[in-house]
Amino acid sequence: MPKNEFTRLAVAVNKASFSYKNIKAVDRLSLEVPRGISFGLLGPNGSGKTTLIRLLVGLLRPKSGNVHILGRTPSRRIAHLIGYMPQLHSLYAELSVLQNVDFFAQIYGLSDKARRRKRVEEAIKLVGLWPRRKDSVLKLSGGMKQRVSLACAIVHKPPLLFLDEPTVGLDPELRVTFWDYFAALTKKGVTLIISSHTMDDAAHCDRLAFMRRGRVIAQGTPNELRQATGQPEATLEDAFLYFVHRKEEEK
Amino acid sequence: MIPSNAFTIAARVMRQLIRDRRTMALIVIVPLVVMTLIGLSFPEGSVLDYIAPALLATLALFFSFLLTGISFLRERSQGTMERLMASPVSRLDIVVGYLFGFFIFALTQTLIIVLFTIYALDVNYSGDLWQIFIFQIVVITVAVNLGIFISTFARNEFQMVQFIPLIIVPQVFLCGVIWPVEQMPDYLQWLSSALPLTYGVDGLRDIMLYGKSLLDVGVELGALAGFAVVISILAAITLRRGASG
Repeated sequence: MPKNEFTRLAVAVNKASFSYKNIKAVDRLSLEVPRGISFGLLGPNGSGKTTLIRLLVGLLRPKSGNVHILGRTPSRRIAHLIGYMPQLHSLYAELSVLQNVDFFAQIYGLSDKARRRKRVEEAIKLVGLWPRRKDSVLKLSGGMKQRVSLACAIVHKPPLLFLDEPTVGLDPELRVTFWDYFAALTKKGVTLIISSHTMDDAAHCDRLAFMRRGRVIAQGTPNELRQATGQPEATLEDAFLYFVHRKEEEK
Repeated sequence: MIPSNAFTIAARVMRQLIRDRRTMALIVIVPLVVMTLIGLSFPEGSVLDYIAPALLATLALFFSFLLTGISFLRERSQGTMERLMASPVSRLDIVVGYLFGFFIFALTQTLIIVLFTIYALDVNYSGDLWQIFIFQIVVITVAVNLGIFISTFARNEFQMVQFIPLIIVPQVFLCGVIWPVEQMPDYLQWLSSALPLTYGVDGLRDIMLYGKSLLDVGVELGALAGFAVVISILAAITLRRGASG
């Protein structure tokens, strides 16, 4: 692939495979995500979404094929360019909201105190938790923990964000708030890779990849995927099932 | 390795423990209760004088191993390890950060145990008190590293606790705490020489019973330092497997 093509893309996956012992979690998967959009990885539990994200953030290495983010192989050297919100809340429960976000700000290289304080404040305000900043995470509700987790992932203002099931367990109101945050981030040029198994989330993404059994079975904008079914009233759920059946028939 | 990252992690570990008031209280109370019970069960002072150095080394190893092992395991089970592994910090930053972070608490426990043993239980000793502390610091360095290393093989707290009979109890029996190593069969003596507590017990006995100096127990100190370095490298190597497991 030419170099300028690499830099245009936030994510480029080429025939990547990964298995846990005998279970193929990602199977010769190829994917390209341009910069500055929200890209949804959509599929049922066990379809390989989390494994793909772990490959992209460098926690796993593909057994075959290759993975590039921002034109480079994922490694510690470019880790400061990405933000990662894992599926679990992944927070230090005894520490306060402020201490959690500040810790990750330091880890991601914000060593200047004044600059770090400003960024930490911005991130916590963005997720609407500034009044609760001194509370320990232990005292927060599930939705609030999700918000702290997001603040930890965005505090260093990375150009590429990986969010693994960020809206799981959120009430509908909070889900809308989250999607407002995400829209604001993409407006600023940040690329978002979001995994989800709900069609509600999918409708908010600029582009989508339907995943099943470690493979991408279809990709496009939500509208393109709906239109592919040939039914004007089709939902994204209908579109997903349409591509699943089509793949089965191809076999 | 970037020292500032290791210090950031160490500061966070300390802050986390300090905010957990109950754990802080237990860190102080548990060794006092254990040592009081041991003191009461040995009414004959001379027996306690002899056994005290071995007990000090064993309890330092046991408490520090447990405290670090469980805490490090929690880092993985709550998902923060995954977050750290995807960040710019290295595995060595994490291990060294944890070592520094827990060191203060392990040291506090050891100070309590040593001072309580000497002043409250009235145990007689020959060597210098500061030399006893320095030697104990090396023992807890091994224990903290061992806790980090072993925790990478456990997936939950139940599994971690199972490692105590596997890692700590054999050392109590094979390292001369209860029975002299010289009187064991050859193969057990060989096994004993591969266990860190053997050097901890030997060195501390030499200092406390025979008044030897740190220079005199240089071999034991060197062996313990060797264990600490090798175990911390092994911990750093096994960390990725643990995080993605």
